[in-house]
Amino acid sequence: MSILDRRAIMVDPGVLKNSGHYDAIIVGSGVAGAIIANELAQAGKRVLIVEAATETDRSFKGYSSYLQHFYGQADKDNQSPFPVNRNADMPRSGQLRKLDPLEINSTSYIVQSGPYVTDTVYTRAFGGTTIHWEAKTPRMLPQDFQMQTLFGQGKDWPIRYHDLEVDYELAEREIGVSANVEDQQYLDITFRSSYVYPMHGLPLSYLDQRVAAQIDGSEVELYGERYPLRVRPFPQGRNAIPNQKYDGGKGYQPVGAVASHQIDVGGRCQGNTNCVPICPVQAKYHAGKTLAKAFDTGRVDLLSQAVASRVVIDSASGRVTGIETKLYHDPASPDHHTIMITGTLYVLAGNAIETPRLMLASGLRSSSGLMGCNLMDHAYLLNWALMPQICGTMRGTTCTGGIVELRGGAFRRHQATFSVDIHNDGWGWATGSPASDVVELVDAGNKFGADLRQAIIDRVSRQLLLAFMIEVLPSESNRVSVNPSYTDLLGNMRPVVSFTVPDYTLRGAAYARQFAKTVFARLGAEDHTKYDPSDYGFVTYEGEPFAIRGGNHLAGTHVMGTDKATSVVDTNQRCWDHDNLYLVGAGSMPTIGTANVTLTLAAMAFRSARNMIMQLGRLHAPVQT
Amino acid sequence: MTTHDITSIGLLHRQLFKAMQLEHATAPPYISALYSIHPGDNADAAQILRAVAVEEMLHLTIAANVMNAVGGTVDFTVAGFVPSYPTVLPDGEHDFEVGLGPFGKDALETYLKIERPAMAPRGQARHVQIKGGARHFISHPHDQTLRYYSIGEFYAAIRDGIVYLESEAKAKGKTIFTGDRAKQATAEYYYSGGGRLWPVFDVDSACRAIDLVIEQGEGELKQIFGAEGEIAHYYRFDQLQKGRYYQIGDQPGQPTGREIHVNWEAVWPIAVNLKLNKIPEKSELHAAVADFNKAYREFLAFLTRAFNGEPKLLLEAVPRMFEFRNRMQQLIRNPLPGGDCNAAPTYEI
Repeated sequence: MSILDRRAIMVDPGVLKNSGHYDAIIVGSGVAGAIIANELAQAGKRVLIVEAATETDRSFKGYSSYLQHFYGQADKDNQSPFPVNRNADMPRSGQLRKLDPLEINSTSYIVQSGPYVTDTVYTRAFGGTTIHWEAKTPRMLPQDFQMQTLFGQGKDWPIRYHDLEVDYELAEREIGVSANVEDQQYLDITFRSSYVYPMHGLPLSYLDQRVAAQIDGSEVELYGERYPLRVRPFPQGRNAIPNQKYDGGKGYQPVGAVASHQIDVGGRCQGNTNCVPICPVQAKYHAGKTLAKAFDTGRVDLLSQAVASRVVIDSASGRVTGIETKLYHDPASPDHHTIMITGTLYVLAGNAIETPRLMLASGLRSSSGLMGCNLMDHAYLLNWALMPQICGTMRGTTCTGGIVELRGGAFRRHQATFSVDIHNDGWGWATGSPASDVVELVDAGNKFGADLRQAIIDRVSRQLLLAFMIEVLPSESNRVSVNPSYTDLLGNMRPVVSFTVPDYTLRGAAYARQFAKTVFARLGAEDHTKYDPSDYGFVTYEGEPFAIRGGNHLAGTHVMGTDKATSVVDTNQRCWDHDNLYLVGAGSMPTIGTANVTLTLAAMAFRSARNMIMQLGRLHAPVQT
Repeated sequence: MTTHDITSIGLLHRQLFKAMQLEHATAPPYISALYSIHPGDNADAAQILRAVAVEEMLHLTIAANVMNAVGGTVDFTVAGFVPSYPTVLPDGEHDFEVGLGPFGKDALETYLKIERPAMAPRGQARHVQIKGGARHFISHPHDQTLRYYSIGEFYAAIRDGIVYLESEAKAKGKTIFTGDRAKQATAEYYYSGGGRLWPVFDVDSACRAIDLVIEQGEGELKQIFGAEGEIAHYYRFDQLQKGRYYQIGDQPGQPTGREIHVNWEAVWPIAVNLKLNKIPEKSELHAAVADFNKAYREFLAFLTRAFNGEPKLLLEAVPRMFEFRNRMQQLIRNPLPGGDCNAAPTYEI
């Protein structure tokens, strides 16, 4: 069925001041905000979504214009499809440089306060960062929820894996995850009996298979324990073959493109390698698919080009009384006017940088003082090599398989875990390939014409990039803050990030480098890895150099816990300090293990939405005397 | 004496073969026009063409499923399966030509004729005399001088035939659904936008399949949107002519949705109904067009295997179709010698 966008209303700001009443005001249209909007609307609640970006991407034309913009960019980075909008700015690569000691770089949207410079990004667009995400959707391991208890590291979650298990299933349904349970049952991950994913797993790429041919069945030893290795497929939030056994035999109906007017393009994944930053056929899930369902209820309104600038609190009760919002009229101009938006519940669904930024800009540090603290992001260490034979690199989605056996284990007492991605898109992330290959083959190799074409094929199709996604634990000094010296065009304070890559992570990185060398040796691959001291992400550990990349998996900055002294939100992501305010998203996660955060934050959104519906029910119930 | 046109299983197979021919025949014109549009321009028009072309392929699959269900043979390699363009289609009383060419205002008129809702007016025969010796996809099963009033009537007659033949068979304790279930292409192998795919094995599943083809194509009941909220092909194209999208609640001819801007100029000027013999022999272009036709012939043979017990091959068909797209886009960018037009696939199989 084609889901039409006819009921998504761009609300007239003039009407808003006196507009009836919203049960919930949701700031941010990303995956968390979208799920909560849809769940509340399905339960009959009225919702207003406040989105800083324009809403052009809701139309097919808008989505196509992103694609055209992407095709036209020489540098195809994470944000290349998204035109600059200084009123709702976002971090972009290409603006970063290494910092001198104590130096602060405020030329990029995120003010880099160092010492480590992160190139992490998020997208301020309709649908949030799911418009550019890679859509890898592993669950966290049960042991990830008990880091302190089991390994004496990091924090324990106030909830456990089994508390989230049903919500993981809901998130997998919402996102439309393609995977086979038998491939995902490893370490201590469990599934409810007879559970199947909505769609069958996507196949391993040819490159994965070449790696698997040499690696499967081998093992590594770490702190006296042996870990058998194999290349496993990752669960993915992109359309594959629907599993007829899903939902007790009812099957699953994949969701095609919805940002199109009556035209359902897209369907299953075609193996384009540009999943990041944008799927050309909308086979990849993005929050627009959930929002389309929400708008279809007729109970969800959207206010776009609306930048939430201050959360206003009643000092006596601590309750939120409104959200001051700046409405700009044109992305090219800072002209705006300010309105107050009110509702019963308030939900900040930005991300782990934007949400605490808004809270801190509103002077709300939380009783715990932890607002903005414990910033986490996966640290990526890239290792690249040339395979001895043509491996079909550049075919398949960005990443189909990897090595995940070291996501857990007793070694976590000493060093960080990691998950290894086998990249199907060559060395691009590490070296700027294939553009850099062309330059080198022309300048250094004197190649041209047919020789050059053949040389590029020979080279690119042998490229193997192993991206190690390394765990980062919470540390209070790694944080987001604000400073009135640094504002954006609308006068909103920008985020200031201070970050040091923890030694625990760097021990994991050092082992990751050894691990990569071992794998390359087994594959007969020629190691080309090189970390440049001038790289903005350059760090050393025990004399060894590394360049650490950001993972775009921001988390931890409004941590969930069991009491208001040591955490910002409760297990339903409701603020301890403000009983009608929810801060949702990965910012609530006490630890991130080695799971890309989206699936877990989506699962938590379902949990929170249930609690909001209950809270609204209590608020609207007749008063008992 | 029965009033049914289709009175034997042989005639049903004959009509289903014509249905497959018909559904296939509309794909090359739509796809040629789709790829004639400059990349990045006319996103609305391109996506409407694409959506319709994909659904024509769904209809082809459905016709093949019905054929297999009633024990017929699916064979896309039969001589004459692919028409020589231009070919002739009916629009009520009149015939019109459908050819290969660029997207444009005239082409849009043709698409509207292909998809126009045109059930025979009440009281009028569902058949029309064939004029001028044209060969028709939708001719009467045994009277070669007649064709159906419209594609909708053609399918309605197939539907009647299935119901009639099955009731006759049932009376004798038999069934016409003798086909091998393993030959059915099911939802695993197709999904895109509108429409679903299900195995055909009885009257109900067959009739639902045929109704879907009628509904998606012409909007039988003059409804803009079908039961699942999907807009019929005719109205999809009508939007391009009106410059505005339909939304639920609109009256036919009066869309009130978002505006559509069509840039009629942003189109490669591909030759209309090009033939291989119009391209200088031994030129690279000649070889490329001939290669395309050869690859297309092989593709039809591949699809034939898929519908004869190897449905998994439909998955492999997808990258092959990308190959066609690439070949087609190459041809379309190359001017023909000595003219104002660019090359295009000729579909001379």
